[in-house]
Amino acid sequence: MRTRRTSKIFSSAYLVVILLFIYLPIGYLVLFSFNEGKSMTNFSGFSLKWYENMFSNRMMIESITTTLIVAVVATVVSTVVGTVAAIGLSKAKRILRSIVLEVNNLPVMNPDIVTAIGLMLLFISIKLQLGMVTLILSHISFCIPYVILTVMPKLRQLDDNVAEAALDLGATPFKALIKVIIPQILPAIISGALIAFSMSLDDFVVSYFNTGAGINTISMYVYSMKRYNLSVNSMSTLIVVVVTLILILVNLIPWIKDKKSQKEEP
Amino acid sequence: MTKKLTAVLLLICLALLPVCSLAADTLNILNYGDYIDDQIIYDFEKEFGVRINYSTNDTPESMYTKLQTGVSYDVVVTSDYMIDRLIKENRIMKLDKSIVTNLDQLSDSVKNLYFDPDNDYSVPYFWQNVVLCYDTTKIDPAKVEEKGWAILLDPELEGHVFLFDSPRDIFMMALKALGYSANTENKDELTEAFDWLVKMNQAIHPSYVGDEMIDGMAQGEKWMAMMYSGDATYASMENEKLAVWAPLDGTCIAYDNIFIPSNSANPEMANKFINYVLDYPNSLRNTVLTCYTSPNAKVIEDVTAPGGEFDGVESYVPRTDNEKDEIYTDNELLRTETPELLVKVKLQ
Amino acid sequence: MKSFIRMSYPYILWIAIFIVAPMFMILLYAVTRSGNSTLTFTFTLENFGRFFSDPDFIRVLLNSLRIALFTTVFCLLIGYPAALLIANLSEKAQTMMLMLLTLPMWINMLLKTYAWRGILLNTEFDSELKVFIGMVYDFLPFMIIQIHTAIAKLDPNLLVAAYDLGANKWRSFLKVTLPLSVPGIISGITLVFLPAVSSFVIPKMLGGGDYVLIGNLIEIYFQQTGDWNFGSAISLIMALIIILAMWATRKLDRTSQED
Repeated sequence: MRTRRTSKIFSSAYLVVILLFIYLPIGYLVLFSFNEGKSMTNFSGFSLKWYENMFSNRMMIESITTTLIVAVVATVVSTVVGTVAAIGLSKAKRILRSIVLEVNNLPVMNPDIVTAIGLMLLFISIKLQLGMVTLILSHISFCIPYVILTVMPKLRQLDDNVAEAALDLGATPFKALIKVIIPQILPAIISGALIAFSMSLDDFVVSYFNTGAGINTISMYVYSMKRYNLSVNSMSTLIVVVVTLILILVNLIPWIKDKKSQKEEP
Repeated sequence: MTKKLTAVLLLICLALLPVCSLAADTLNILNYGDYIDDQIIYDFEKEFGVRINYSTNDTPESMYTKLQTGVSYDVVVTSDYMIDRLIKENRIMKLDKSIVTNLDQLSDSVKNLYFDPDNDYSVPYFWQNVVLCYDTTKIDPAKVEEKGWAILLDPELEGHVFLFDSPRDIFMMALKALGYSANTENKDELTEAFDWLVKMNQAIHPSYVGDEMIDGMAQGEKWMAMMYSGDATYASMENEKLAVWAPLDGTCIAYDNIFIPSNSANPEMANKFINYVLDYPNSLRNTVLTCYTSPNAKVIEDVTAPGGEFDGVESYVPRTDNEKDEIYTDNELLRTETPELLVKVKLQ
Repeated sequence: MKSFIRMSYPYILWIAIFIVAPMFMILLYAVTRSGNSTLTFTFTLENFGRFFSDPDFIRVLLNSLRIALFTTVFCLLIGYPAALLIANLSEKAQTMMLMLLTLPMWINMLLKTYAWRGILLNTEFDSELKVFIGMVYDFLPFMIIQIHTAIAKLDPNLLVAAYDLGANKWRSFLKVTLPLSVPGIISGITLVFLPAVSSFVIPKMLGGGDYVLIGNLIEIYFQQTGDWNFGSAISLIMALIIILAMWATRKLDRTSQED
């Protein structure tokens, strides 16, 4: 019995250490956002000045809004296009499906710098000026594959007979789609959308090579910063808070739904 | 399906709104990082009713790449040799001197530059030279002054040196130490410089960084740095143990000028902006915040006068009396070879 | 059902433009000679020759492969036990752990690397070690999650059956859990090794200019030298290495599945 307890302690300790490692830089960012001085190595006192500083830094705020707009648009478009494509591909001939899926894998497997440069060369050769449009287009390009990769497995698990039955009962293909297929794969769609969103938020290289004048994402802004600017820490802290809230919400909603349905059952 | 489609299209339109806003009066500016007092931007916007899209880049080469990819900037700041190249390639619009009237405020030290002697295309924005900034408590000043760039071969400095990760400047140090021109077109001289740098790299294993070294030196992280005089000014003012020295074997004097690319969409406003930053009050606050040397004669006079912000700070105004100092010229050999050679130096 | 196939057509068009065409552009630049504003169509393999004949470039390639390998192995060694331990927790605890692991993924990689730069400034570590730490940090969650997904899918009855047949914990792990978790290991390796090889931000921010990996090399040729042809050639070489690695791991996966 002692070995069981020690092994339990050991396993908890192991996981705690890993979590500490994962949250070390985040904690560091948050800590130094309250620094009195401007150093990232010496904590000299408590101050909220970097938060004030952040709000008056227009370029930083703009980088945040740009990042968000791009992420939202890219997520919406790639989720729609990706889901539609996945449904279409699941019914396609094997050969076509495997070829398309292989090509679809390229942006996922390719180093992001190769994807980024390829897109830049494309835009230049068709004389499309680099700017917000190219930025969004390039994000959509690398997001769609992730949606497809998430949705496809779920589609394969689907029982074809249900959709066939709907069609037999007189439903139009469109209705069958909306009322039968999509609800069944909805969890995968949402999961795919979340992955696409996080991929877009996390990107740096593709954005770096494919934007134009004055358009910066958060990552580009941080990269181009010359010296330490602890407003970046303030910005990071806010992002951490928002993300935590969102994740809590996302996880609470099914829990609340469960409770509701429990109540409804007699 | 149609509902979803409309929603998506709406979102796309919303996203393109920032693009549409470019129809309003905007000015796209590309500058070096930390090279302006942000307040100047906000004040200009208010005074002239324009919206400024401000971007930064870290080297003339990356600026050139951006121009090549067709991005339209209205105002750009970059260094002398790159402007030389752009003028020759017809990528710079001539200034409208009826708008840029403050040219008479320029200091003599920044006039008659080889690439644009009459300021037809560009106006000096900041200028500087490349210097050694070092901790006097760790390194004997006499040694530094005697050895010049060759002090970087001293194994005692191992692990304690910052070098700016700029191929041309690093090669300049080597070429000067060997007594050659920083603008050499001689492959053999370049090879000798390469060997010198390999020796240097193996002797002191420097840290090749960007602007992190500015705060780094101010906080005493290393004993010595090769840096731009403006940055050295800032660091030495923050950390009194630091001294600044321009080696007698010669260094480079760099002029960062502001110009209007030929594909600018808003040249009139661009000219106004150039005139605005050149003007006394704006040049003054620009230099005070960034510590880079102003091109404005009266500003220099005032800040170096007793009681001025840079009174007694020797590094503030680059020396102009050493014959061995050079300005970079555009040079295909150095342009194409030095980045690759620098990578190789680091690998030896 | 047939009408559904048509739904995939728009995407096929998209792929042609945004995935195939860019790769084609890189290929085009890689096999032609310099002059990047006007493509001079002299086909040549000199860019590849230039890369492979230079021992310094080979060194960069080997350095990249090496650090990617170390990062991957380390993530595997640390991540596998973590995934296993998490899979043995209660369902609630598992969801909590997974949430905690995925939260940092929503915070931009540059912000976290910037934080590491601050943390590592207090240390006297070697550039390579700093880059290694940064990479392990960035990729560890991916490895843990991939392995966990595979382990969590396993039928617990399999283990019960193994115990019934007299195997102890260690043996049943070795003979049941481990082999069945291989798909997870493989996708974890893929998600770590490939991006690690091509990483350029982490080496640049944590290693300083001293540590040059292949991603940095590509950036130098595109941004500094302006030699887009050579830069594209290096990109292509890297892409090919990665595709080969993927193909090899896929084969491994298939053979292990056949067992």
